[in-house]
Amino acid sequence: MDNTAFNIEYKPRTGSEAMCEALLDEGVEYLFGYPGGAIMPFYHALPDYPLKHILVRHEQAAAHAADGYARATGRVGVCVATSGPGATNLVTGLATAQMDSVPLVAVTGQVGRPAMGKDSFQETNVTGMTLPFTKHSFLVENPDELYPTMRRAFEIARSGRPGPVLVDVPKDVQFAACDHNGYRRLREAPAPLEGPALEAAAMLLKRARQPLILAGHGVTLSGAEMELRLLAERTGVPVVTTLLGISAFPDDHPLYIGWPGMHGAASVNRAIDRSDLLFAVGMRFDDRITGAVAKFAPNAKIVHIDVDPSELGKVVKPTVGIAADARAALRGILSYLGDEEDVDGCASWRAEIAESQDREKRREAEARDEYGPIRIMAAIKAAAGEEVRLVTDVGQHQMWAAKFFGFTKKNSHITSGGLGTMGFALPAAMGVAFAYPDEPVWVVAGDGGIQMNLQELATIRDFGLNIKVAILNNGYLGMVRQWQQFFHNRRYSETPITGPDYEQFAAAYGLAGRTVSPGDDVEEAVSWAQAQQGCVILDFHIDPEANVYPMIPSGMSVNEMIEEDDA
Amino acid sequence: MTPKTQATALNPIELRLTGGMLALNRLIMTFQNKRMPVAGFTAGRDGGALRATLVLDCPSETARRYAALLSSLEDVEEVELAGETIEVALLKTGEAGWRESAAGAGVSAHEEGGTVVASGAPEKMEAWLGSLEVDDIVRLGPVARPGDGGG
Repeated sequence: MDNTAFNIEYKPRTGSEAMCEALLDEGVEYLFGYPGGAIMPFYHALPDYPLKHILVRHEQAAAHAADGYARATGRVGVCVATSGPGATNLVTGLATAQMDSVPLVAVTGQVGRPAMGKDSFQETNVTGMTLPFTKHSFLVENPDELYPTMRRAFEIARSGRPGPVLVDVPKDVQFAACDHNGYRRLREAPAPLEGPALEAAAMLLKRARQPLILAGHGVTLSGAEMELRLLAERTGVPVVTTLLGISAFPDDHPLYIGWPGMHGAASVNRAIDRSDLLFAVGMRFDDRITGAVAKFAPNAKIVHIDVDPSELGKVVKPTVGIAADARAALRGILSYLGDEEDVDGCASWRAEIAESQDREKRREAEARDEYGPIRIMAAIKAAAGEEVRLVTDVGQHQMWAAKFFGFTKKNSHITSGGLGTMGFALPAAMGVAFAYPDEPVWVVAGDGGIQMNLQELATIRDFGLNIKVAILNNGYLGMVRQWQQFFHNRRYSETPITGPDYEQFAAAYGLAGRTVSPGDDVEEAVSWAQAQQGCVILDFHIDPEANVYPMIPSGMSVNEMIEEDDA
Repeated sequence: MTPKTQATALNPIELRLTGGMLALNRLIMTFQNKRMPVAGFTAGRDGGALRATLVLDCPSETARRYAALLSSLEDVEEVELAGETIEVALLKTGEAGWRESAAGAGVSAHEEGGTVVASGAPEKMEAWLGSLEVDDIVRLGPVARPGDGGG
């Protein structure tokens, strides 16, 4: 009997082979992982299959790299680790993916079945440990179930609201012979769209005089960027995005006004405060957006579209709630709007918003001439071009990048939004770079977060990844320091932080690096980095006490917003 | 958007789940994770699966949202917002006036071989049992709806 996949003589498959075949059948190209005792049978089988394994230097990085790959491609990312510490090291990455609805499959080895439950070496209950932040998890104890379970894991990860799925496989199950490989894809029919709700949403949009479209990550996840643009252009309604919604709508579009929330534009926060309709699609009213919920958008009716029905009414009560995929829902609503543009209804509203943005735009233009984050963002955008994908870490730099980079390419902004995972950017950028090896990838990180996964420079070097890294180095855990400045009377408790000489550090990995200080030519340094082959680190020394403005204190409303002029 | 205060009520949700202990663990973890206002939870075997009745103390709209959330769990095969749930109690009492007090509290009760079999809405049962001098008692539920027994 032939093995039709590889045309070699048939032999009884092992569980490990079934796992590899399932990965192949799911079209997996890259696995990010790290071997160890309990996953060795899988790694023994792996070289016989055309699957590309990327050996990271820490399992957390494997999860983030798979996450970055998934965010950039829309496909399911895959990471692999052994039992015990290998599995526990994946935890932060799984939680990051869960919070941002990123489809991942994590495969972990487990101690053999006879050893389970006996506190065996490197045994940990990873399925139990990850229950709160996986979409689903499997402990596969029957070898015949391995192949279908692996396939099912992919289906769960990418269906509906995407998320991470864990498949934990005892070592002896990986070794065991298995015969059965049947799998029937459960093509669950999407729930029918509710016509009356779509029509009601369209009517609210038509009638509103001060409406805003609030677009989130769900737009990117469902590939609804074109529908979003059509909706905005047909109605003339200004668009704001969530942090993860950035790049779902071009920043340079005349209808784009920015993003709201704790560090969002003051003008956008005020616009939400005055709006009479919030048309929210693919977003979940995160507390960083709403602040004090009772004071959020006090005059607005709310249309809320989300693929996860349990999000509707979770934070704010929608006037019209639509549980549907963003693209399907937007298409449905567009059909009720007709083909004619009708943009006059909110013309005065657009003018009012534009006027409120004047001061911010002037301030931003002035800052582009000064050494600092805004100028650095502009220089990267200019040197890397329109095709650049920017992966940011978490902190002040993340806010500066989101505010000032100017994302014009679809799905070009990749960041950890929900969990806010420091250390995310560098490994996530590896996933992006593997997905798009010929397109520019930049990392913008702080000097705190970059040190959390800096070991991945070895992985980056080994694979010659063309990732450019800009560190905004202020010698502090900057965002925490900023909070200490405002709310803890400048008591900078444990926020000053040191790091290596990044030029020398890069050199130790065989990579190029440069320190850039006030007075240096930012544009020249960035252009130099862009022109180098492979990974480059630029260590930008910036003002230690530069702040992100505006700032709405946690749990407060737009009325308590701290602006630069007030500080 | 100013949230309006909504009245809470006991909302029973029935669900059937497969996947054994891990599924039950995930379900209970979800209750905790999403801070669900769980006022009662019972589970029992149902063929090869588990059938559970969850009672949420919250506005009915919130209960519907939680039911939607639970329905998205991979292990959950069925979710149903049960319109009504009852509690059943088997008890012994020395009080002579238990029939009258049960009727007054809105609880159905009769005697079967010396045991009082009582049933009713959980809150009515709670109030009635609290007023009664009970020698021995076995309480079941809230596990089932009147009519089809939740099955």
